Parts: sequence; C-alpha cells; structure tokens
Amino acid sequence: MSAFSAILPARSIAKWIAKWRNTALLWALLAALAVAPLLIPSPNTIRLLFTTFLWVTTSIAWNLLGGFAGQVSFGFAVFYGVGAYTTALLMNAGLNPFIAFLASAFTAVLVSLFVGVPAFRLRGPYFAIATIGISEAVRVVMTNLTFTGGASGYRIVEHRPFSQREHYYTALVLASLAFVISLLIANAKFGMGLKAIRQDEDAAADLGVNPYTYKLAAHALAAALTGMAGGVFARYAAFIHPGGVFGFHTSVHILLMPVIGGIATVWGPVLGGFVFGIVEEEIVASFPEIHLLLYGILLIIIVLFEPGGILGGANKLLRRFRAKR
Amino acid sequence: MTLIDFVNLLLSALLLAGVYAVMSVGMTVIYGVMKIVNLAHAGFMMLGAYFALELFERFHVDPILAALLAFPVMFLLGGALYWVLVRRLPHSDEPTLPSLLLMFGLWLVLQNLGYLIWGNTDRSILTPRTLSVINLGPISISTVRLTVFVAAVACLLVLQGLLHYSWFGRSVRALIQNRYAALISGVYEGRTAGIAFGVGIGFAGLAGGLLGSLYSFDPDFGRPFLIRAFVIVVLGGLESISGVALGALVLALVETFSILFVPAGYQLAISFGLLAITLIVLPGGIASLLAKVRRLA
Repeated sequence: MSAFSAILPARSIAKWIAKWRNTALLWALLAALAVAPLLIPSPNTIRLLFTTFLWVTTSIAWNLLGGFAGQVSFGFAVFYGVGAYTTALLMNAGLNPFIAFLASAFTAVLVSLFVGVPAFRLRGPYFAIATIGISEAVRVVMTNLTFTGGASGYRIVEHRPFSQREHYYTALVLASLAFVISLLIANAKFGMGLKAIRQDEDAAADLGVNPYTYKLAAHALAAALTGMAGGVFARYAAFIHPGGVFGFHTSVHILLMPVIGGIATVWGPVLGGFVFGIVEEEIVASFPEIHLLLYGILLIIIVLFEPGGILGGANKLLRRFRAKR
Repeated sequence: MTLIDFVNLLLSALLLAGVYAVMSVGMTVIYGVMKIVNLAHAGFMMLGAYFALELFERFHVDPILAALLAFPVMFLLGGALYWVLVRRLPHSDEPTLPSLLLMFGLWLVLQNLGYLIWGNTDRSILTPRTLSVINLGPISISTVRLTVFVAAVACLLVLQGLLHYSWFGRSVRALIQNRYAALISGVYEGRTAGIAFGVGIGFAGLAGGLLGSLYSFDPDFGRPFLIRAFVIVVLGGLESISGVALGALVLALVETFSILFVPAGYQLAISFGLLAITLIVLPGGIASLLAKVRRLA
C-alpha cells in the first residue's frame, strides 16, 4: 500500500478528486469562515457576514419546502417573526439566549403546523396564494398586539457584554446546521419523496409517499430553521418590529434567494444567500429600489429561460465550455 | 345600532363592492382564459393610480375620466407584456408555479420602477368632490364614492356586454368552459389570450385609477387590494364574471359590518385571513356552497 499514488493511474486520482471535491470545498469554506473574524477585524465585514449567514439559513430552509417539495410559500416571514419575538420575550424574561433560540424553533414548528394542517389541503399555487393571506393577516395582528409593543416594536435588554464574535459564530453554526440538514435530506429517502411530490403529487402518492405528511414535515423543519434565524437576528438587533420581521418584504427576500441561486439544489440556496446578502449590502443603502428591481428582472429571466438559477446557468456554461474543448 | 346607521353601512358596503368588483374582474378574465394567477395585478393598479394622478395634475383631466383613459393605455401595455413574456410560459390547465413566479417578478419590477419614478411619498388625488357629501335626509353619501361606483358599474356592464355579444367574448367564454373544445371549434387561442390579458391589465389600471380617487397611494399601493381581489375571485368561483360581483358584495359587506364586532386595527386581518379561509373551506366559491345547500335540501 506504500506509494499507492505511483501505482494508481492518473485517471482514478481525477475521479477521487471529483468525488471529494464538494466535501473539500465545504470544509475549505467552513474553515475560511471560521477564521475570518480573526483575520478581518472590521466589525462591518463581520456584521455583513453575520446577516449573510442568517439569509443563507432561511434560504436553505425555504428550499426544503419550496425547492425539494415544490411548495412555494410567500409566508416565511411568519416563522422568522415568530422566532424573533419568541427569543425576544424569553430573553427579557431572563432565559439564556441559546435556550431561547431552541424555543423559537419550537414555536415556529407549532405555527407551521397551525398553518400547514389546513393549508396543505391546497395544491401548489393555491397554497402559495393562501400563504400571502396568512402572512399579511399575522402581520396585521402583530401590529396590534399590545403585549409585544404593537407597531412600535419590542426592545430586548441583555445583561451581558456585547460580543460580535459570539453572534458571528452563532450564525455560522446555524447556517452550517441548515446546510448539513439540507445535504442529508437531499440524499435520503425523505428528500427523494419530496422531489417526487414536486414532480407529480399523484404519482408520488401512488408509490407510497404520503404528500400531506411529507409536506408538513418539510414545512415544520423549514419553520424551525427560519425561526431560529429570526431568534438570532432578534438577539443581535436588540430591537424588532412587526413591519420588519413580519414584513412582506422579508418573505419576498427569503423566497428570492433560493430561486435565484438554484432551486431544489443543495448549493443553490447557499449561493443565492451569499449573492443576495452582499449585493443587498452594496446597493441597498443608496438605491433600495434598484435592488429589488434587479431581482424582479432576474426572477423573470430565470423563470422563462433558466429555471436552474445561477447554479444551473453556471453548470450549463461549464458543460458547454468542456464540450468545446 | 339604529336603522339609519344600518342603512348607511349597507350603502357604503354597496359602493365599496362596485370598486372591488372592477378590481377583481381583470384577474378573473386572465385566470379564466390562461389559468394564470396574476400576482402583478397590484403593480398594474398602482400604475393606473399614478396615471390618473399625472393626468389630473399635469393636464387637469377629471380623475374619473383619467381612470377611464387608463384602460386603453394599460390594455396596450398588457398586450405588449403578453407578447414579450407571458406567451412563453408553458400551457397548462391549472395554474403553475412558473407563472406565479413570473407574475411576481413582474410585480417587483413594476413596484420598484414606481419607487424610482415617483419616490415613496404618499400621494392622493384631491378634487372638490373628495370631501363633499350628498345628504338624503339622515342618509349621507360621499360624492366621490358614488361617482366611482357609477363608473365601476358602467365598466362592468360594458365588459359583460362585450363578453356576451362579441366574437372575442364568445372565444373567451369558450376557452374558460373547455379549452380543447374551443380550439377544435376554431378559437384562435393566442390572439384571444393576448386580448384577454390586455383586458385584464386594462381593468387593473382602471380599478387603480378609481381607487386612487378614494385612497392615498404610494408605489406599494395595491397589496391589500390584491389580497382582497384574490378573496373575491375565489368567492366568485374563479371563472365567472357575475360571480365576481357577488364575491365583491360579500367581501364588502363582511368588511363593512365587521367594524361592529372587531377593533378597527384588526379589520385588515379579517380580509387577509378570509383569503386562506375561503381557499381552504370554500374552494368552489359561493356557487358551490349554494349547490351543496340545495343538494342537502
């Protein structure tokens, strides 16, 4: 077995590289992000990465339901907001923030069942429209609730010194968790079932996949991740209000990232989250309109010409390039 | 509540129903012919409102007339958008997610173009009519609401006539009832769908212009109205135009009379929640409910 690289032909090394490329890429990315706060002292960059991780988390979560199972939801702000408010209320009651994040996941799951049990009786597009109504109704209710401060928002008081690094690593761990879940699901029976539902719900049901429970499970899992992201955001921001966390634009952002990155893939939502987070940062301060205008145009182009999103388009270009060579 | 209060509420519900019907009917036509749920409806309503505002401020055109003028302009815009974008969507007998996402992208584009052009300040169309009231004894009617109602009902009647007595209308109704039978009978689907899309967008613009006379608006204008239009279209049974009028009336009544039971802040939650509830409980609309009741009786 010694000096096996000399015995093995070059082709199998190439194969070995191809096999482990994704894993290596993942570890390299993780390592780079883990040491980033030590190398880049600028708090602004760290903040940008922190929000990007949260976007990536929600984007991956949305993709579990909207991508793999093909159930487009315009209502993910509900989970984000519920998570944010759960963490906020519990932290002000004196609970450890990390336990509060878990509680956020729990309440978001409860809400997802409350929404999903009736709404998943509807097929794809009708479900999508129902989620618009639910999300807007929840926002209006939250704007009027008195014990959360209503429209004027809710402030979180944390009796600990502020450590940006702690927030950064919390978000990084959360995003990694979301990614691992998405990766495991994509290759598991559960993920195959979800993909079968997206392609043909009736055929999937005939083959022994219960679309209703599969969709509910994917919805609950996505809600848990989104709720935790909301909680982490609430702790960092220390102030939340219904127009922000429950706003329709939050749902829209969460939907746009995976669609633009590449729907129903593992890496697409990650890519979409990073692109969205960074582009938003660059443009939104000076031209908030152009930001969403660009995404609207991108969405139209993606729907009509490249349903695979940025990832699909890049793969296609790569294949064409290789074929020419 | 006295009888007079009741009559006043009833009247305001009726006047509201007229505008609601006009804003939903465009969505029904597009859904019926193409099975596309027009999420961009709100964007076109916003354009209609700003069109009326610009005509009113620059050329001192009467806002109601300006709203009517928005129809042909938006009709052409709708036809062009059909030609450029919508006809590329795959055909389907039921709404598809790509069509939903396409219309959503279009809405984002329209809305943010609106922000670029007009900024994000609230605008409103104010005429001497805005604050004047017609008093009939103890009953008072807002003049602007009455004129808007009359214009809305007139437009609905014109559309109804068009659908019943023209070749285009017959093609539309045939496509709604049975697409394949219609194609066999020689309905030119592409052209009918294009015109229907134009009519749908035209009505969105018209409704936007009329709503602009009643409420203040910004480029995000129309989201609450979009959700209401969904409710009405679903209540009306998704494909019937007289159903839309009924759905509009039901929603207007529910909204107006809910003020007696629900705090004002929560009122919008009722209209929005109704969307999910009607979709889940009453997917066939009021007509299916009546049929069920009749079967039970």
